[in-house]
Order: sequence, then structure tokens, then C-alpha cells
Amino acid sequence: MNGRRAFSELVPAKDSYTRVILSGAATSRSEVAAESKDPYFTRNASKDSPVPRGFLLLLLCLALLAAAAYAQGGGELRFCLRNEPKTFDPLLVDDDSSLSIRYLTGGVLVRANRKTQQLEPELAESWRLSKDGKQITFKLRHGVLFSDGTPFSADDVAYTMQRLMDPNLHSSTGDAFRSGTGAVTTLKLGPDQITVIFPAPIVELDALFDQVAIMSAHSPKKEGAVLGPFLVAEYKAGSSVLLKRNPNYWKKDAHGHRLPYLDSIHLDIQPNRDVEMLRFKRGELDLINVLDSDYFDKLASTSPQLVHDAGASLDADFLWFNQVASAPIPPYKRAWFRSTNFRRAVSEAINRADLSRIVYNGHAQPAVGPVSPANKFWFNSRLHPEAHNPDAALKRLQADGFHLQDGTLKDKDGNAVEFSIVTNASSKPRERMAVLMQEDLGKIGIKVNVVTLDFPSLLERISQKFNYEAAILGFRNVDLDPSGQMNIWLSSAENHAWNPQQKSPETAWEAEIDKLMRAQASASDPKKRKQSFDRVQEIVYEQAPFIYLVNQDALSAVSTSVEGANPVILHPQTFWNAERLTLNANTRASR
Amino acid sequence: MNAARKLACVVLLAVCAVSLAADWLAPSGYAKQFREVPSSPPSRQHLLGTDEIGRDRFARVLYGTRISLVLAPAAALVSTLLAALVGGLAGYLGGIWLRIATSFTDLFLSLPWLFLLIAVRALLPLNVSPLSSVLITFFILGLLGWAASARVLSASADSLRNSDFVLQAQASGLHGPRLFFVHVLPNLKPILYAQFWISIPVFILSEANLGILGLGVAEPLPSWGSLLRELEGLVSFREEPWRLVPLVLLIVVLTSFQLVLSNNEEVTA
Amino acid sequence: MNDGSLLSAQVTVRYPGKPPVLRGVTLEIAPGEIMGLVGQSGSGKSTLALAVLGLLGRQRATVEGRIWFQDTDLVAMRERDLRALRGRSLSLVLQSPLASLNPALRVRTQLKEAWRAHANGTSADCDAAIRAAMTSVSLPADEDFLRKHASQLSVGQAQRVLIAMAVLHRPALLIADEATSALDVITQSEILQLFARLNRETGMSILYISHDLPSVAEICQRIAILHEGEIVESGPTAQIFAAPRHPYTRRLMSSLPHLPTRTGEPSAAQAAAAK
Repeated sequence: MNGRRAFSELVPAKDSYTRVILSGAATSRSEVAAESKDPYFTRNASKDSPVPRGFLLLLLCLALLAAAAYAQGGGELRFCLRNEPKTFDPLLVDDDSSLSIRYLTGGVLVRANRKTQQLEPELAESWRLSKDGKQITFKLRHGVLFSDGTPFSADDVAYTMQRLMDPNLHSSTGDAFRSGTGAVTTLKLGPDQITVIFPAPIVELDALFDQVAIMSAHSPKKEGAVLGPFLVAEYKAGSSVLLKRNPNYWKKDAHGHRLPYLDSIHLDIQPNRDVEMLRFKRGELDLINVLDSDYFDKLASTSPQLVHDAGASLDADFLWFNQVASAPIPPYKRAWFRSTNFRRAVSEAINRADLSRIVYNGHAQPAVGPVSPANKFWFNSRLHPEAHNPDAALKRLQADGFHLQDGTLKDKDGNAVEFSIVTNASSKPRERMAVLMQEDLGKIGIKVNVVTLDFPSLLERISQKFNYEAAILGFRNVDLDPSGQMNIWLSSAENHAWNPQQKSPETAWEAEIDKLMRAQASASDPKKRKQSFDRVQEIVYEQAPFIYLVNQDALSAVSTSVEGANPVILHPQTFWNAERLTLNANTRASR
Repeated sequence: MNAARKLACVVLLAVCAVSLAADWLAPSGYAKQFREVPSSPPSRQHLLGTDEIGRDRFARVLYGTRISLVLAPAAALVSTLLAALVGGLAGYLGGIWLRIATSFTDLFLSLPWLFLLIAVRALLPLNVSPLSSVLITFFILGLLGWAASARVLSASADSLRNSDFVLQAQASGLHGPRLFFVHVLPNLKPILYAQFWISIPVFILSEANLGILGLGVAEPLPSWGSLLRELEGLVSFREEPWRLVPLVLLIVVLTSFQLVLSNNEEVTA
Repeated sequence: MNDGSLLSAQVTVRYPGKPPVLRGVTLEIAPGEIMGLVGQSGSGKSTLALAVLGLLGRQRATVEGRIWFQDTDLVAMRERDLRALRGRSLSLVLQSPLASLNPALRVRTQLKEAWRAHANGTSADCDAAIRAAMTSVSLPADEDFLRKHASQLSVGQAQRVLIAMAVLHRPALLIADEATSALDVITQSEILQLFARLNRETGMSILYISHDLPSVAEICQRIAILHEGEIVESGPTAQIFAAPRHPYTRRLMSSLPHLPTRTGEPSAAQAAAAK
């Protein structure tokens, strides 16, 4: 797959900061989906989100309904996986489909709540981090059984950690824990207490455990014995995966009923989106987890009750200029691209509101910077999307010696300002944004040529040959924590797209970003980390090496037969609360 | 001249005239974005509605017609002439020449075009004005389209080579290029015509596909190819029938061309 | 090149990998003579005609021996020089008139091309030559006729056009390869008369190749009988008819239809030959 190859070209596979993905295709996320890793979270939510009273009432109703549903059996939920799951071993998960299955079947010590973005106790009733950030101690839940009846204890945590950190396993989940050389050890303090000790401090250590599904040390069924709400009952390669309710799942609802409500989940393996949409419309599927905006609007035009726009996601598209010193472009153009005023002027000349309204039919928000406003804790709320202001843009340009002459912008040496924007041909939204910007920039006398390329050629140009002037691409942000963005912001990084792999920072502001990024990575105090990363966001805003355009919304579709759905922006958008989903009585009767 | 042919002539003249008069007839430029009304249905301001980014569809059809109507036939002409030269000559010369040409044609047809086109794109500069992009695109199409036609032509030329009238012409002292151009080529005309007409719609659509490699007609210039490509996402023809206009226009123009030319052929052949 | 004959051939022709088609065939044609070459299909008649014109290269045939024509050896001649002879001194009329005319061209174009192959002149010169040739074959030389395509001509007209083309440059030798075989009886006799007349009026020699003995007898002074690639018998028409020596010739004679009206035909032919 293009995306995969391209991705591995850009980011070394064993790099622990590989949580940001150059996204080739906004319209076909599955191209890059295989590379996504679990998002992880912070327990340090800035503030609890206020819960409206109506919402409580709704919850109550749902709980009642759920109770009723439980009494009758919850039925079978159906949706699609876009690709074949590559593994059922929870410690080897590396692709979207396996990730979804792990989410539904695996039991974890702590869980990041996908809605609140905060950590919640799961198999661990509580946990404690040591001051030096090297140790974490869990107090485990009592009386929990694996799906096959084997009891759960500290042995299982020790076994799981030992297996996870085994270098021969090559687990990318394990990579996130590899902070320094030396072995990871576990210390059992009792049957329900265990400490995990790492050789070096790890930032956001507890949040990383959201991805570690605990395996049984004693069960002969190996990964077949699970602690999550569902278990894999049947797998037909290339066709489907059937998950059944885990009868031993520990969690209960407010009324003391055992979760999950659903009897089973039927997952079809179906890469074709048209087929997925057709089957959804026929009522054969209950969910579409990730929906493109044009599908969204088609569906919304006939059945508005089925579609959900969860608001801005973490993904962003942006424009950047080639600032590479050795790039094969005319020196006077490089001088423009290296001018802060020039970049900021271009940023100001772009009408972001039009981009999101016209290109995404409103299913996108003007973007601010590297952190989406959807990332509640890390977003720097002092920043706002650059306002559309061509006059201010012209003033900025004049400060650098640019001037308008017969409607054409010329630099101080009289060169007419003209550049090309490359983007990938497979993304219609990016092409359309480019055409809109072509006109926006035309209004301040800049001539833009839009060139769409196939993704591999595009990546070759921007990451190897540096034979381009400006490009539009996106990073698919799967990570809330800024550590995941180290591979973009460090001036030595490969994904430092505008001028990658610098020996030493070429500008003062890049040097400052380097310093701040390192500071946030080594600090353990979340407040200090946030301070550093807030400043990074401000520098990026001021210097505009990436001119952020829009954050696309997280769009999904949920059938009316599903009760309790509450789609969010984080994976797994529609079924993050799968254990509390039910199907309504009519649907159950008809299946 | 029968009624159908007359009608076809009128249609063609009308289409040409209208597209040439686009500067006066179009309510706005093909690139002007009416951002307040993207994807709007037909109205008095926008006879065919607007596209996804608010450009007037009527204006885009007019200008797109102008571009495709001139350049697709030009490209078809280039490729057909190349085919006539390579295929016709090889078939006529026969023997080793025919074998060389056949293997060359087969090789040409089996080349991984996608990669070659990517290489072509890599060689061209990124800053190409939309107008040059159009010329480059159709030139490439013309250069690449000859091989399939050449195959057909070499087979026919091969059979002509052994015909009595070529022998008779040789016995009359004709030889070389004169013999080829006077006696062989005119007899390939019906096949050439057919290849020419088949190429035009193929080129119009290929142009749209070249856009994927950054080689097509560059934004914001419209072409039939890019207008047809917009039909990909069409949900229901019944709901938005006006969006079919480019397709209908393509069919009407090609049919008319064929009517006008097939009659000519009967007279000359 | 010996005794003042126009054409004197002694050739062996073989196609690659096969026994020779013509084995030591000798043929002599005197100036102003109509020579008949008779043989079954496949006996090598057409090969001989093409060998004389040097048009066997296409079939990759090899010609051994000598073909003296107007004191030059055609076998040894370069293609370039041969081209100068074809259509000017040596011309050919083929069997199927409609197939031998280019379907894509008008009569005039066809004749014009043939004329231009050997003449440089104004279009008036060309028109005059065409008109003369057309008249000599008793075809209308008007614009309407000259604008026609082959498909608009009758078979007889087409054959006359081909003959007109062949006599355009007043060749010394015209080779008619089965030129009348595809025609109906009446047209056939008209064309035969035309050949006889052209021979009489212009003095050009004709090599008249046919499988049809009676038609050969009608206009030829001498006849050669070709059988399985060899000339088995040749001599004046009357002599051959009166006393065929070779068994094949005798078989050929006996296979002639004995219609009441045809009785005594040989003598009539003899009479014609004597004229």
C-alpha cells in the first residue's frame, strides 16, 4: 500500500515517536489506517466537562432501557472492518482492524475514556506513580475471571509485561515503554498488588497502559482467554469475525446487571466503502465508524437522524513552503519561502472559513496549529485561527519589499511571485482547497499553479528530492500527547517537512522549538510540559512553517436500531462504549 | 446531403460558434468562484448551476468545449498519422520491416505506461501555466495513442501489399513513397477514419485520468475530461439532471462528427 | 541479343525451399509479334511474366539465366533501371480488371500516376496522353468518365482502362497475363480484337498468356506450350494446331470442345495468323 511504504520511508519503524502519520488521502483514510497506533491519554484533564442536566436524564433513561434490554438479551451488532485483522495477539497489534478487536476483547488496567479523554480505573482499582517516573504500582480488582474461567491476578500482569517487553516479540505497543536500556522488572507485592519498574522515566506512563491488554499467565487458551467485554468466537479469513459476549466480564451497570448488553458483534471484512454504505442503508449494518464528508452529506440528505458529526478531530491539513537550502528551486523563491512575513501573509490571505464551508460542507473547522481544539488538555486556547485579511497580508508583504504592480505581486528585485502547490491526486478535498487558495492568493497578486501527483511521487518530491515549492498534506494525529509530535518539530527530524534533518537548527525559532520539545519530553510535571508545548504552538503560529488550514470533523453513521451510541472523535469513534450498546427490540426481533 | 447530415452540420457549427463566443456568452469567467452558492442548482444567474467550489457550470462547459473540441481531435490526428506512418508503412513494406514494427508496437503497448508517465511528470517543471498544461497533455496523448491503431493498420496494409492493383502499379513503374502514398494510403482511409473517431472520446477521457498524475489540464482551466470526472460522485441523475449536460454534449458532438464524416467517406471511397 | 528478337529468355525460377517453378524455359519474341503462352494454371505462366518484369522479388524467388530485352539482360539489371523500363517499354495487364484498379482512386488519377512515372510534363501534356490512350482503347475520354472510381466501371471498361494504362507510354512489349479470362465471351472477343488492333497500329509486341487455347489461336502468330515449368513445344500457331508433337499438347487439343460451330476452328486461326 502506498501509504504504508511512504510512511516507513519517512518514519523508522522502531522509532518510539511514530504516532503521527503523514496522511496521503483525506478521502480514503484506510490507506494509512494500517499504521495507526493506539491513542493514549492523559489523566490530567484541565477541567471536568460540565454535564447538562438533560444529559443525566438521558443517561437514566438509557440505563432503564438497557436494563430492559439485558433481560431479553442484547442481540447482535453488525459493522465492517475495512481490512483483514493481521493478528489476534493483543501485544502484536499494529493495524486498525486488530486494534478494534483488541479494544472490544482486551481487558486493560486503566482505560482512557474516549469521551472525557481522562484515565479511568479498569482492572486496576487504583494506581500510583513514583516521583521519578520510573515505577507504577497497581492495585488490582478482586474476583475477576478470564473468559475461560481462569482467575485474574498479579501473575497475569507480570506475565503480560514480561512478554510485552521481550525484544524478540517486536511489539510496537512495547516500544512505547522502551525509554532506556535495561530490563523492565515487576515486583509482586501480593496477589492483587504489583509494581512495574522501568530503567528510565517515561512520560505519561499510566496512560500507556490503555493499550496493554492483559493476557493470562496460566490459561491454556493463551490469547483466547480475555478480560474484555467480548471474545473472538469465530474467524473466517477474508470474510468476517464473530465476537461473542464474555460471560465472565466483570463490569456491571448501575443496576447491577452484568455487561455487556449485546450477545454478539458480527464484523464483516469489507474494504469497499460503497458496499459498506449500501449495506448500511439496507439495514444490514448498524455502524459506519469513519465516514467521508461526501458520504456523510449523501446520507444526511435522506436520513439526517443516522449521521453524527462529532466535531473537529485531531487530523489537520496544512500548506507549507519548501525551505530546504539545497532544494532545486530558484534562490529568490527560497528567499520568499524563508521569509516569516511571506508565510504569514499567505496564511492571512487564505479564507479558512470558506475552505471548511465549501470543501468540507462545514464538516471541518478552521485550524489553529499543531494541536486540534479537540485535544482538550494540550490545545493552547489563547490561539485562534488566523483571520482572513488580505489587506494585512499585503502590508506584511510590503514590509519585506514586495509590491503590487498591475495586479501582480513582485518582490524587491522585480520577480513576479508565482509558485506551484503540489498535493496528492487521490484527495479531492485537498485539490479543491488548493483551487480555492489559488483564487485567494490571486487577490493579493500571487499566481499559484496547482499540480496533483500520485502519492509516491509526491512523497519522493517532498522527502527526498525536495523538488517542490509548496505542498498541501495532512498529518493524521492519533495521539493526544505532544510526545507523539517529536518527529515533526525537532529540526533534526525526518518529518520536519519544510526543512528536514537539519544538522543544527538553521533559525533561532527552530532552535527554541527544539529546546521546548526536549523540555516537555523530560519534564514529568504536566503543567510544565503544557507550558512548554503551549509556547511551541505559539511559535508555530507566529512563524507559520506549516500553515494550518482545517481540522476535519470526525463523521460517523449509526443506525437508529442502536441504542446508547455516543460517537466521539477518538478511535473507536462509534463503539468506544460497546459494552453499553444495545439494539432495540424491533431489530432484535427481525434478526 | 441528407437531413441527418444537415442537422449534424448545424449542430457542430452551433457548438463551435457557441464555444468560440464563450467570452461573450458566458455570464462569468470559468474560474470565478461564487463562494456563497457552491453546488447550487440551475438559476437565472447560473444556467447550469455551480460546481463544488461555486464556479458557474455553464461557463465551464463553454470553455471546456472550446479546449476539448480543438485539442482532442488534434491529438487524435497526431496519433492516427503516426499509426498510418508506422503501421501502414510496415505493412506495406512487409517482411523484416513488418516484423520489426510489430514487435516495436507490441513492446510499446506492453510498456508500463503509468511509470513512464510518472517519469514524464518528473521531467516537466511544476510551474506550468494551465494553457501549456493543456497542450502538453494532448501532445502526450497523441504521441502515446498510436500503437493500437498501428497494429490494425499494419495488418490491412500487409494485405494491400499483395493486392493486384499494387502489383499493377508497380508494373506501371511506380515505386517507393509515391506508390505508398498514392496507392496504399488512400485504401487505409476507412480504417484511419475509424481509428481517428475512436481516439477522440478515448483521449477526452484519458485527459481526465492524466490529472491523477499531475499531467492533465491544470486547474482552474476546465475541459470535458474534468467536467466528466465530476460525474463520478453523482448520486441521482433524476435529482440533478443538469449535471449530465457535459456527457450529453459529448455524445451529441461525437455523433454529429460521425454523421458528417461518414457521408464524406461514401462519396470518396 | 542474337537474331534481332525483342525478347529472348532462358530462365530457371525457384522459390525458396521448393523445386524450380520454371526449368530452363526458353522464349523468344520478335518485334511486332503476338506470342501466345499456353498452359494450365500452376504451370508457371504468371511466374514467367513477373520474371520478365523483375517483380518476383516480393516472393523471394530467385531467377537464374538470361532475359535479353532490347539488347540488355533484365536478370542482371539493377532494380533502378528495371523501374525505368516497367510501364514504359514493358507493360503488364493482369487477369482481374476490377481488382487491378485501385478502388480508392479515380480513373484519371490512376492514369496520371502511370504517366508521371515516366514523364515530366505539364498537366496539359498529361491530359493529352491520357486522352490519346483512352481513345486508342475505345473509351470515352470525357471528364465524367475520367472522374469515375473502379467500382463504377463495367468489367470490360475496367480492362480497357488497364490496357490504356499499359499502352500509355507505347511500350515495346505488352504482357497480358490471362487478360481476358475473367471476361464474358462477347467482351473477351472485343478485348482480343483490341489487342490485335493495337498490335497492328503501333507495332508493339504482345506476350499473350492464357490457359484458353482458342483465344490464343485467335490472335497469336506463334504459340509456346508450358507444362510443369518447361516449354514442351513451340512454333507457329498453325503448325502446332496441325501437328502437335508433345503428348501434353495433344491432350490439350483433344480437350477442346467440339461444338458444331467450332468445327474447322484451327484453320480459321491459321487464316488469321497468316494475315
